Order: sequence, then structure tokens, then C-alpha cells
Amino acid sequence: MIFAILLSLSTSVLTVNTADPPVEEFFASNHTNNWAVLVDASRFWFNYRHVANVLSIYRSVKRLGIPDSHIILMVADDMACNPRNPRPATVFNNANQNINVYGDDVEVDYRGYEVTVENFIRVLTGRLPPSTPRSKRLLSDERSNILVYMTGHGGDGFLKFQDSEEISNVELADAFQQMWQKRRYHEIFFMIDTCQAESMFQKFYSPNILAVASSKVGEDSLSHHVDPAIGVYVIDRYTYYALEFLENVQPGSKKTMDQFFKVCPKFQCQSTVSVRTDLFQRDPKKTIITDFFGSVRNVELLTETLNLQDSTAEFSCSKDKCPEEKLQKTSVQLLSYAKQFPMPN
Amino acid sequence: EKPLHIHAAVGIGVVCLVIGLPLWWKTTEVYRVSLPYSDIDQLAQYKIQYGVDVTVISFDEQMVGVDLAALSKHLMESLDRNPIPGDISSRYRTSVKEKTSQESSLLSSCTSLSDLDAKLKEVFKQDHNQYYVILLPQTSQLKVNAPEIGLNRNIFFTKTENDLKQFAGQIAQTLKEVVVREGSVLKAYEAAKGSRNQKFYRLQPDKERMRTVRSHPGYDITFTLVNPQPDIIDAQWDIQHAVRAYLEPLTKQLKKYATVNIQSQVLYFTGLMTKPKTDTQKKEYYYTTKELPLIINPIEANLGSPASNNPELNFLVYVPTRDEHPLHIRDDTGMNLASNAFLSPRWGGIYIYNIPSPPQNASLPVRPSIDMRKVMEIFLFQIRLLFNLLYQGSTSVNLMPVGNKVVADWELDGWLRTHCVENLATATATLQSLAQLLGQISNIVINDDIGQEVQSAVQSIKESYQHLKEGFLEKAFLASRGAIISSEKAFFDPSLLELLYFPEDQKFAIYIPLFLPISFPVFSSLYKACKWFRERKVLTKAKQE
Repeated sequence: MIFAILLSLSTSVLTVNTADPPVEEFFASNHTNNWAVLVDASRFWFNYRHVANVLSIYRSVKRLGIPDSHIILMVADDMACNPRNPRPATVFNNANQNINVYGDDVEVDYRGYEVTVENFIRVLTGRLPPSTPRSKRLLSDERSNILVYMTGHGGDGFLKFQDSEEISNVELADAFQQMWQKRRYHEIFFMIDTCQAESMFQKFYSPNILAVASSKVGEDSLSHHVDPAIGVYVIDRYTYYALEFLENVQPGSKKTMDQFFKVCPKFQCQSTVSVRTDLFQRDPKKTIITDFFGSVRNVELLTETLNLQDSTAEFSCSKDKCPEEKLQKTSVQLLSYAKQFPMPN
Repeated sequence: EKPLHIHAAVGIGVVCLVIGLPLWWKTTEVYRVSLPYSDIDQLAQYKIQYGVDVTVISFDEQMVGVDLAALSKHLMESLDRNPIPGDISSRYRTSVKEKTSQESSLLSSCTSLSDLDAKLKEVFKQDHNQYYVILLPQTSQLKVNAPEIGLNRNIFFTKTENDLKQFAGQIAQTLKEVVVREGSVLKAYEAAKGSRNQKFYRLQPDKERMRTVRSHPGYDITFTLVNPQPDIIDAQWDIQHAVRAYLEPLTKQLKKYATVNIQSQVLYFTGLMTKPKTDTQKKEYYYTTKELPLIINPIEANLGSPASNNPELNFLVYVPTRDEHPLHIRDDTGMNLASNAFLSPRWGGIYIYNIPSPPQNASLPVRPSIDMRKVMEIFLFQIRLLFNLLYQGSTSVNLMPVGNKVVADWELDGWLRTHCVENLATATATLQSLAQLLGQISNIVINDDIGQEVQSAVQSIKESYQHLKEGFLEKAFLASRGAIISSEKAFFDPSLLELLYFPEDQKFAIYIPLFLPISFPVFSSLYKACKWFRERKVLTKAKQE
């Protein structure tokens, strides 16, 4: 009998090993690129934890492979250079001050007063003035998976921006619908850490959106701990435990979204984490976390090449003595200073 | 007594209702230019047809007039059979004729198939979308055992079987699948149209659609040389010359249809962050296919990007360091990849160029120069894949190798066709969603220029449909390009942001405090005036009696 149990155990171990997805399927996932839109909507020194939240998610997302050119980071206030910061040029998310989440290479795209509801909706829908630089645009296409993370103070049906305006859940749902109409996303993972956060995703009606919120309607999301050296709360509970989970995720990890949803149960978070999966067509148990948080590219090996003939013989023009280049050089006009301005003679 | 207060009340009431109300309505109207909503709906329902011209010239003496007539009939039947039903279909105009004496002398004067290919182009002036099927006789030295497609628009066949119907079917299949690429056109159309009515719609994984860069009026290509150890191996590359010599045939052909901006850069002291595996037996280093996806992201952070909104393609040449030499890519069977390169869909490609390590007593840094021909061979092939110029289906058709021409004429036609259809589908979908948005929200301002862009987009789409149906591929593509530029400009206009704080239900909250206090005295005095008039009428009636 013991032998039978051992045999069944060994066969079960074998089946677990062979359940790994086959490596040859380079085009297994449907998306080709990943974007992240990370928003911190509140300002003032006592909302330090919201800035720390969004910067910690930014770090995780970067570590897992999404480059800065594909991240839109909106931070509503400057905590690192705030005169009340006892450690200038740093933002910590933990009282032991292990990691400076501000770091050396943070790239904030929308800062300070630029973080408004209008700019946020403009970024999502793409209706930006033509002078907007590339780093401030969400240039996603129909095969982009987008992670949208929002944090700040919220209420039933709204999220407060900058303490002066608010975005409602209807507007957010309409913005996502605009994105769907223009095929600007393949799948969206919407993550929100505010009070009564569930209300923000209740009005979504566009397909392929997976949403998780840190609290239900009527509940408050609480902050985690205070840093006595800085004097403010430095991180929120849900984001703290989510980061703990993400720290164990490496770029090639096979952890699923279902495991991510189980992060921060009620006894840890004191608010109920709620999830919306009805708009999402895949099974969260089979969706890996790097589909949204990281950027694992598909690759294709090159098995054949062109056959070119050496073209140096026909092409007699080299770097230095090219007639076209000479023409180009002579057409460069040297501008003199006075000619640029209308100066009185 | 003059009932002055009655007249005054009536006067004020009349002014308020007759002048005030319309004036208020007119001045608080939102400025909206009228858009051609019905036209847009019509365009969305339109079934696209693209026309193709096929001429069959028989050099085969054994095929007499009767055979040719039968072949023509069977060919037209096979070509018109559309196995893929849908909103998009092809329309073939075929003509079958025998060779003239001039053409037969042409055949005898040619020594090779490529020679014949070039001479035929001169004689027939093959323009876009006109394909020539050349039937070579069994007796000729140029006969082909399998269908062969030349670099221009000629397709060479030799009749190997006696059944004309089957032969016609073979010709039709080659034309539809390989030359005209109906499958690709359909896929491009479906992918771009999306599905606005389905609630649960998800794109399926498709290698061709995922790899191809989306149709856009411009592209940015960046060539980068990544040299992690320039103090030891200072690799030199003459990229300017290489681009001019090898890439120019492609960019010249595409210049009319899309602006391709080419840049190059060299990155020093930057390496691939992933450590390769070591093969101690063969004393080489290698990457397996599992590690390749992790290479791209760290290096992408250092590449920079051009200051435009065009899709960008990055092509990297990586020179391994002296310690990690030679560095190979191994496929799943464990063999070293011959090309040592890989590509990432919609992103570009990376080629690992192994330079022999400098000998012990050489003066550092050594300055080897990179063989640009080999580099461009790889990159041009990747460009052909990423732009979807290459036909990738498995067939029994021989394609003449493209060589320095980089893109064959018929491949360019295929590119124009798929991109034209993709542009049209995208533009109609954009206009539809724009119309829906503007129809739904009645207080968005629609400026004149948006109205103009929408009108011009609708016009261009109609033009393009017409040209496409008649087979004028180039004109259709240019019209579709104009359509997509106009429709995107109209859709993404910054002034079309939904009004955030003036929704319909809040209008009452604004007007009630303004109008309610005034309306009380006006209406009550009007009511009193009406009562007074009625009383006076009763009084005069009573007086009369």
C-alpha cells in the first residue's frame, strides 16, 4: 500500500514537470509589447505614501523588463525634493529605508501640476496636442498589454486628483471604451489602491479588462506603517503586500494572476481585495503575471538570409569623397548671431 | 382706466418668450459642424473588391487556339472561385493570347530565365497590378518543372499535365496564394477592422500579423553597433556606405508610399545584460532560445528613440567581448544557428557578429572593420519579414532570389495591396467610432477643421475603393494613405475631449438659479393678465346682453 502511494506521488511529480508550456511556442502570447501607466493623484507631504506606492510599482515594472519609453509615470507632487524631507533626493517605501525607490534613473513623465484629470484622459485616449514629446504619449497598438495603476484618495465612484478635481468611474470607463474603439490595447490590467476602490471599476464595459481593487465600496484602504524618521506613513497596505509578491517574480517567472489576486487577505489588509474578471476572456489561473508586469518578447530565429552581391565595385563614392556630400556641406549656412534677431541698425 | 400693469405684464411675457427664449437657445448652442454620418455608415457596409489584371501568353506551340480558349475559360472559373467568403473579394480580368513573332524571337534570344524576365518587362512595360503568366514550351531550354516567379511581374509555367482544367487550377492557385496573396490581404483587413459589434472579441495569435509592422505613413529605422569593449576591439563599420549601397533599392521604391527615416549610432561600453551559457567542450559561449527574449529589454533602454510618432525598427550588431568569444545562438536541437541572428516582431533584429580575438601581443585596441555585406544580408532579410514583403507560405513554387534588388515588383504590389486594405479598414473604423462618439455626446464642440478632415477622409476612402476595384493599385494606395492621415488627425484632435464638468443632468443645476427667480413674477403676472382678459370678455358679453 505504501508502495502504491509512493508510486502515485512520483507519477504526480512527473506530470507537474511536463505541464510547463513548451518552449518552442515563441508566439504563444498574443501581445507583442507592454505598456504601463502609473498614476499618483495626490499631492502634499502627508500623502508621501501615495508617491512611494507608485514609485515602488514603477521599480518593479522596470525590473521585470518594461523600458522607460513604454512607461508613463505621473507623480503629482515632488516628495524627494520637498523641503520637509529629512532625506532629500530619496523616497523610501519602508521604515528600514532599504530601497530608495526614487533612485538615479527615475523618469517622471507628468509631474506636479501636470497631473490632471484632463491630461490623464488625454494620455489614455491619445488626444494630445501635436507638440507633445514621444515620452509623454501612450503609443500603444492593438497588440499592447497595458498595466494601469492608480493610487490616491478616492471615494464611491471617484478618485481625487490634486485635491482640487476628481475623475469619476463613468469617465474612466468611457476613456477605456475610447481606447477599445481605436484598438489601442489588447488587454488592460487595472490596479487601484484607494479607499472604496471597487467603485472605480464597476462601470467598465469594454472587453479584455482585468481589474483588482484594494477595497470594496464602503471600506477604507489603510496605510501600512509609519516611518518615525520621516514622520509620515510610507506605504499603503495593499501595495506593500503586492510588492512583496512582485519581489519574488523574476522575468521568466510562471506565477499567475490568480496567485496575485490572493495577495493581501483580509487579516493583513483589513479591507477586502476585490477583483473583476467578467470582462477578461482568459482564465486568470492561466494568465502569467509577466503578461502585464513585465515585458517578455517573442523572438524568431533567422533561418535564412538574402544573398547580396558585393556592391563596392559599382559604388565608387566613399565616406570622404562623395559628390552628394560635398553638395550637402556647401548648403550649410553659418548663422551669425545678429541675423537671428531684428536688431536696430 | 388703462390697465397699464396688464399691458406691461403681457409685453414682458411676449418679449421673454418670443425674443428671449430663442435668443438664449441660439447663444448657448454648441458649435458643431455637420458631419456626413450617413456616408460614414455606408462606407462601413461597403464590400471591398480589388481588381487584378492577368495576361497569359503562351509560347507553347503545342497549345493551339482551341486549347487556349478552353484554358481561358477554366482559368476564369478558377480565379473567380472565392473560397474565403467575406467583405473583401478579388476580381480578376484575364486575357489569354498566343505569342507574337516578336515575342518568340525574344524567347530564343534569352539564355536564362532572369534574362527573359528582364526583357519581358521592357517589352510589356509591366505596371503595378499587371501580371503576365508565361507558358514555356517543353522543348525550350528555359522550361521550368515547377512554377517560377520572376523578379518583375512574370510567372513562368510549363504545362506538365494534359488536363487543361487542372493546369488552369494550378495557375489560379499560384496567382491567388502567392502573387496576389489573397490570404494576407484578408487577414490584414480583418485585423484592422476589428469587431465593433462583438462584445467579446480577442485577436488570435497569428505569426504574420504579429510580426508585421502596422501600416503607417512613415517608419523610422535605426542601425546600432553595440560594442561592449571598444578599448580592446574597436570595430569599425561603414554604415553610410552600406545603407546607400544595399538599402537604397528598397527605400527608393518605398519613397513614394511611405517616408522611411534611417539613422545609425554606435553604443560603446554597453553589453547584453544576460550572461551566456558556456560550452566547455567546444570552448564557445551560446544563448538558447529561452534567454533571447530577455536580451532585448535592457538594451532597448540604451537605444534612444527618434523624435517622431512613427513605428520604429531597431537593428543591432553586437560584437562580443574578448572573454565571451565566440558567441553563438543555439536553436532547440542544440545546433549553432548559421545566421547568428534573431528578430523580435514589430521591433527589429539583433545579429551577433563574432570578431576573432586579438592575438596576445597585438597593440590594443585593434580596429577590425565589419563586413557590411554580411550584416546587410541579415538585416535586409529581417526587414523583408517585418514589412511583410516576403511570401512565407509553404508551396511548391520557386521564387527567384531577390538579391540586390531587395524587393521584387510583385512583392511590392502585394505590400501595396495589403497596406491599402489595412489603411481603408482602419480609416473606416476610425470614422465610425468618431461618428458614434460625436453622435452620443451632444455637447462636444466640432470645429471646422475637424469637419474638413472628416470630409476629406470620406472622399479619399471613396476614391480608394474606386481605384482598387478598377485595379489602379498605386492610386488606391495613395488615396488610402491620405484617408488614414485625415481620419487619424480628426479622431485624435485635442479639442475632442469629452466635456468633463458639464453633463446633461447638471445643466439644470446651472439654469434653475438663474431663471427660476425671474420666471415667478413673469408667469404670475401673465396669469393675472390672462385672468383679467377673460373677466373683461365675460363683462363685455354680459354688457352686450
